[in-house]
Amino acid sequence: MGAHRFSDEITTSLQRVAFEKSVSWVVAGAILLIVAVPLFSIEWTHTLRTVVLGGAVLGVVCGALGSFAVLRQQSLLGDALAHTALPGIAIAFLVSGRSLPALLLGAGVAGWIGVLLIRALTTTTRLKQDSAMAIVLSSFFALGLALLAYIQGRGDASQAGLKSFIFGQAAAIVERDVVVLALVGGAVLLVMIAFWKEFKLITFDPEFAHTVVLRARAIDLVLSLLIVIAIVLGLQLAGVVLMVGMLIAPAVAARQFTSRMEPMVLLAAALGGLAGGGGAFVSGLDAGLPTGPLIVVAAVSLAFVALAVAPGRGVIWTWLAERRDRRNFAAQNVLSDLYRHCLSHDDPMQITDESMLVNLRGDAARIALRQLQREGLVHGDGRLWRLTNAGVDAARRLEM
Amino acid sequence: MQGIETIIVQLLVSVFSPEQINAFLGDPRTVAVIVGSMVAASGALLGTFLLLRRMSLTTDAISHTILLGIVASFLFMVFVLGVEPDLSSPLLVIGAALAGVATVLLTEAIQRSGLVKADAALGLAFPLLFSIGVLLIARFTSNIHLDADSVMVGEIGLAWTNANSYCLERCDPVVITPDDPRAETSRICTNCERDAISPRSSQAVFETACANCGTYSAAEAWRLRLIPEAPVLVYFPRAIGVMSVITLINLLFVGLFYKELKLSTFDQGLARSLGFRPGWLHYGLMILVSIAAVGAFDAVGSILVVAFFVIPAAAAYLLTDRLAPMLALAILIGVVGAYSGYDLARGTLFGIIQISDVLVLLDRVIGLGGQTTWDSSISASMVLTTFMLFVLAWVFSPRYGLIANFARRRWQRQEFAHQVLLAHLYNHGDQPEERAEASLHEHFRWSRERMRWVLSGVRAQQWVAVEGGLVTLTERGAHEVLDFRKTNLQVQ
Repeated sequence: MGAHRFSDEITTSLQRVAFEKSVSWVVAGAILLIVAVPLFSIEWTHTLRTVVLGGAVLGVVCGALGSFAVLRQQSLLGDALAHTALPGIAIAFLVSGRSLPALLLGAGVAGWIGVLLIRALTTTTRLKQDSAMAIVLSSFFALGLALLAYIQGRGDASQAGLKSFIFGQAAAIVERDVVVLALVGGAVLLVMIAFWKEFKLITFDPEFAHTVVLRARAIDLVLSLLIVIAIVLGLQLAGVVLMVGMLIAPAVAARQFTSRMEPMVLLAAALGGLAGGGGAFVSGLDAGLPTGPLIVVAAVSLAFVALAVAPGRGVIWTWLAERRDRRNFAAQNVLSDLYRHCLSHDDPMQITDESMLVNLRGDAARIALRQLQREGLVHGDGRLWRLTNAGVDAARRLEM
Repeated sequence: MQGIETIIVQLLVSVFSPEQINAFLGDPRTVAVIVGSMVAASGALLGTFLLLRRMSLTTDAISHTILLGIVASFLFMVFVLGVEPDLSSPLLVIGAALAGVATVLLTEAIQRSGLVKADAALGLAFPLLFSIGVLLIARFTSNIHLDADSVMVGEIGLAWTNANSYCLERCDPVVITPDDPRAETSRICTNCERDAISPRSSQAVFETACANCGTYSAAEAWRLRLIPEAPVLVYFPRAIGVMSVITLINLLFVGLFYKELKLSTFDQGLARSLGFRPGWLHYGLMILVSIAAVGAFDAVGSILVVAFFVIPAAAAYLLTDRLAPMLALAILIGVVGAYSGYDLARGTLFGIIQISDVLVLLDRVIGLGGQTTWDSSISASMVLTTFMLFVLAWVFSPRYGLIANFARRRWQRQEFAHQVLLAHLYNHGDQPEERAEASLHEHFRWSRERMRWVLSGVRAQQWVAVEGGLVTLTERGAHEVLDFRKTNLQVQ
């Protein structure tokens, strides 16, 4: 009997997982369609289409990889990484001019150096992770600003786009950039899919991963590298200052709706695409508005909505559930009060005055009586109450 | 704020002549260094406690979000009060303090919901508030003096230009009345425009009007050449006034609550059980951080502020274990960093290296387009020099530095090897085959080189003697082994 029920439970839980997975595919697809469909409408200018497409692609990549950053509790490392990329961008510009692959490479290398420096600080001194991050982040950012000021002093026209890395400027994305971004982003996602199982393992149980996987350290490195690449790609859109919002907000939002990895990454990617495309769209219409803040406001608002309404764990849901529990508890108390009153008079039809219950249980008793009345367990006129037959049965069950 | 400024000016005037003061406070470098030092000093004062309370990144978040407070107060001043916005208005400070506390509260609320980890909570709260600030700037403040550049790096280099003037002599305000010889009068046709007639027409009615009548302060009167002799004026940069007040507040806070801060930082539980209110101190600290950040905003922008809080404190943390010296060292490091930072922005690093020489070299190697002059952001350079000081502390700190650590570890390894060798010789004193010099290294699985290094070490101490290929423990060595066992292994 027990074994039978257990296997049943497994079947239902497997069914639920499969259901959740397929729902997440459908939802993610629907969200991406919302972004994609307007792309093919005729009224859009070529520039706007390019910018929105770039924004959506970057949003998808950042959302997907951001899930890992959030689950590994490395959100703020993403912030530090984005800031430390700035001097890399400036140096790459000095060495090779404004070519996107070179700038991305520079950003990636500088970000990586920043991460190593943070690690060196935390391992060789007694500084904690947060101080080490703040130190490296602010000094690298200062170096970046100093170099930008120097580059500005040269007064050549091509440096114009560099400043857009600070707050992000989708308008700076041209068609060739979108191709580069799509190729690199696609490669990142492919690697993520290829190492899916390993990444999942190392995210949820690093110690276990190190005991069962041969090259756990290398896999850890690959995952970190992918996160670095995602951040570096996103810099153009969100800017170094606000990159962290773009990275983690879609993942936080997605996390509220599901507790499984695959649906979470799918949903985060789709929400990232929505925020990225939407932010790029608004800033493409109005060049005065920097893209990064728009995207971040969109993405973080999504996250807050998710935190509020997510079924099963959102703030509103929890509040409602707690209220329901509180009321049920009060109703049970009032029911057994009535029953005891009956017992003490040896009469199941004994009438009880409402004010007595209010004295005993406070104002909650009034609400509880109305609830019991709706359930057909008590009968009364709003002042005097007695148990119904069903009420007597229910109370007897409670007292057992 | 005005009061403190007046006091400072009167103090200065009582010691120096107005010319000296103006020469001193009219120098961009002096003003930038003074303002930078005060930013660094107040940052270091608070930063020390923030570092110890592991709140460095909260500082980062606050320094971002005060932007929203500043912009909101700006818009409030422009659209609700309809007054000329001013970066040193107390409203700004209130707005920023509110924004700072709002950041902390928002983060704590997200965290308390239990749905998001602490790091992600911070990562959601401050990008949102900062984004709203940046968007408001982009949308509403195009005609107000507040742009993305000043948000990032501030304008410490221009701090000297924004000054209040104080008059010392010949200060009487000048009143120009229509019958004053200096009044510029003209006849204006009062009905020409209304009735559309020419001023030459006979119906035109004229009235004598005064173009420059009114009351002028002595400074204005001199500028318009209404008075023959210049009044004696002293110019006092506003940023210095603002930062002195903020530094003073921070000094007072830390001075008055030193004991409470110390206790609640190191042992919050004890502080609470003794009846202190760690929560109040926590929010007090957050408000002060916001105020210091808003004072520094004008000078160094909103993103670099965190460097002035964290880096000097961290450097001091690597140099000392005591709170009071740590505070003093942090302030010193911050001030030295600010001082040498100005020079770095103008092309000299610590008075030793000329950046332009480096640029000439780099230009030859990788090609920089021939630009070899270095004229960079002052606030960013101040952060860079402070960071270099931090790196110096990291490398050379006598107790926690890289070199000290390396030396200590090497010494410990050597010490360990010596004791292992001595113990081996002691245990095998009667087995010559265990003590043969040629094969001794095999017993420890050491390389021959390492064996030679260890052996030369113990021989130098005269703990062993080598005779005829055999390594023998000397009396001194045997004593050392017993000594070691007694003190470290508790063998009787």
